[in-house]
Amino acid sequence: MEEKELFNGQKVKVLGATFEPGKPLEPLRWRHKEQTREEMLKFLESSQRYWYSNEWYGSERRKNPA
Amino acid sequence: MSSHESRSVDPATLEMLEKAASDGVKTAFERADDVRPCNFGSEGRCCRNCSMGPCRISSKKEAEARGVCGATVDTIAARNFARMVAAGAAAHSDHGRAVAETFIAAAKGEAPGYGIKDVQKLLQVALDFGVEIGDRPVEDIALEIGEKALEQFGQQEGELVYVKKAPLNRQKIWRELGVVPRGIDREVVESMHRTHMGVDQDYENILLQATRTALADGWGGSMIATDLQDIMFGTPVPILGRVNLGVLKEDQVNIIIHGHEPLLSEMIVYAAQDPEMVALAQSKGAKGINVAGICCTANEILMRHGVPLAGNFLQQELAIVTGAVEAMVVDVQCIMQSLPDVAQCYHTKIITTSPKAKIPGATHIQFDEHDALSSAKQIVKAAVENFPNRGANVKIPKYEVDLVAGFSHETIDYLLGGTFRASYRPLNDNIINGRIRGIAGVVGCNNPRVKHDEIHTTLVKELIKNDVIVLQTGCSAMACAKEGLLTPEAASKFAGGGLAEVCETVGIPPVLHMGSCVDNSRILMAATAVVKEGGLGDDISDLPAAGAAPEWMSEKAVSIGQYFVASGVFTVFGATWPTTGSEKVTDLLFKGYEDIFKGKWAFEPDPYKMAKLMLDHIDKKRKALGIDKARERVLYDMAMRRELDAV
Ligand code: SF4
Ligand code: SF4
Repeated sequence: MEEKELFNGQKVKVLGATFEPGKPLEPLRWRHKEQTREEMLKFLESSQRYWYSNEWYGSERRKNPA
Repeated sequence: MSSHESRSVDPATLEMLEKAASDGVKTAFERADDVRPCNFGSEGRCCRNCSMGPCRISSKKEAEARGVCGATVDTIAARNFARMVAAGAAAHSDHGRAVAETFIAAAKGEAPGYGIKDVQKLLQVALDFGVEIGDRPVEDIALEIGEKALEQFGQQEGELVYVKKAPLNRQKIWRELGVVPRGIDREVVESMHRTHMGVDQDYENILLQATRTALADGWGGSMIATDLQDIMFGTPVPILGRVNLGVLKEDQVNIIIHGHEPLLSEMIVYAAQDPEMVALAQSKGAKGINVAGICCTANEILMRHGVPLAGNFLQQELAIVTGAVEAMVVDVQCIMQSLPDVAQCYHTKIITTSPKAKIPGATHIQFDEHDALSSAKQIVKAAVENFPNRGANVKIPKYEVDLVAGFSHETIDYLLGGTFRASYRPLNDNIINGRIRGIAGVVGCNNPRVKHDEIHTTLVKELIKNDVIVLQTGCSAMACAKEGLLTPEAASKFAGGGLAEVCETVGIPPVLHMGSCVDNSRILMAATAVVKEGGLGDDISDLPAAGAAPEWMSEKAVSIGQYFVASGVFTVFGATWPTTGSEKVTDLLFKGYEDIFKGKWAFEPDPYKMAKLMLDHIDKKRKALGIDKARERVLYDMAMRRELDAV
């Protein structure tokens, strides 16, 4: 905890930056989260929705229905 | 003070230039002094496309001056430019072809050591190519993808598959102008045909074909290389690496892999970890085997394995000058013919591996993708056996810096929303609310005609200071990594308040390393994702975004620049510009293209002025989108709300 001064001179303890120092000592293996083919396809449909989903509409698709 | 100080901003480079001088070794830096560029050639005013020439057009009487065949300076400059694009596109695409061929062999089980590492990306590319997924085994899907990808190179009619991934408005522009690539090889060949003596003599028409060829690179060959490599070796994820010559180890066998294709380097990384090889190294008195990279091969193995980067293009000779490199293993592209000469002063073995690229004085060990691991082991063994020959003249500059790499388009999407809501929305929102002013792609080579790394680092610092998030590839990424710009901590140190806040929230650096030169295709996809996400216009040209290659030298850079411009990006090159000899060609590229492609070129060697041009463009686009005014956050009280309701 860091000690800082309030506007009225009172000393307070504040929580400093809470983000971790950005050194991924291990690669961030997020690609392994989806295991089955179904999960992978579902993730593609949501994460890359403008290319692989018919239910999500990006700005351009709304104007030009596919 | 070093007598070389004007040559580089990198202390490791300066230290090695001193050592090279005292060892009597000449490098590209000195050769650049000895070989002055020819004015005619550097301005695009020299044609040597037939034996009636070479014809050099004097700038003084441009209007009347013509080549023996009657070609005007405009035709000649456009031809030269188109040929640069064709050569660059050919290099990238041949890389893609080699990957596709190995991919097919791997799918057939004929390339032991290679396989499918990223099934998710396989499914993604299957959807792109219209390959049925169902319950088919991955090998079947992969084989069909590989074959369809390979067909893209020889396709004669129709459109390349990846064109349909671009924003719809962009596709429309390309179709209207007739520049949608039909097949990758076809466009390269047609560019060579049209620029042959006596064929296309209309500079505008020549440049349209140059555009079609560049698009065949960016949205074709390069994109295929990136995607198939991701499937085989894994889509990059954030990973910690180290950069600069200090990554070499005094007590280990040092192997440098240099060039562009990860097919070989991936295997060398595995072969160097083989217990048999490590034991061999120890038997020779070394503590182990240390693999490091130069140029884009380095970027490929960093992104996927965290293998350190020894340096960028202009450091290739200097790595040898350390005296600590047992072998420099090269494949294709950006390899200097001087390497064996430099190596003669030390014990380093230069090993060429591709039938496409041999160098007199180097040892050739042909790399066979069908028996990759044993090829790689043979190469590693040759390096290890060279360790006892290392002399006493060893000096490794003690400079190495942390960096985080691995920001593929898919990973950026994930980082901004996790698996639950992966999306570019937070990026778009922060651009709209002004915390992020815009996006810049800063890529490309080093060029000894300018101070090594200075233009890259100055430009990028200036951009992030002004809240522009920077996407990087190639040697430019390495230059900025050496300056410490590729760590999350750089956000608070170098970035403007708005960008720093976003970087700290997401946990990313203000400068994102997206890979090698072929991976500029990732930048195209990121830009497209931002467009499709909505709120920032309907086309890449609407985005508050700009591109730059501040120290470019390669023909590949011209192809990359041309496909960025044709995709709607304002792109600035530094160092030199290859068409200044023709006012009309330069005008078309620098001004006319804004009407035609809604993207254009600029040339500006000064990094501060370059940043200003890019920021002005970004601001112009913000204004057009109506997001140029900083909006105050107002806390509404009840009276204000009632007023709103009344409207
Ligand atoms: S093609 Fe024309 S301009 Fe070129 S070298 Fe031949 S004669 Fe000269
Ligand atoms: S950025 Fe330029 S010098 Fe560096 S590897 Fe790519 S093409 Fe070669």
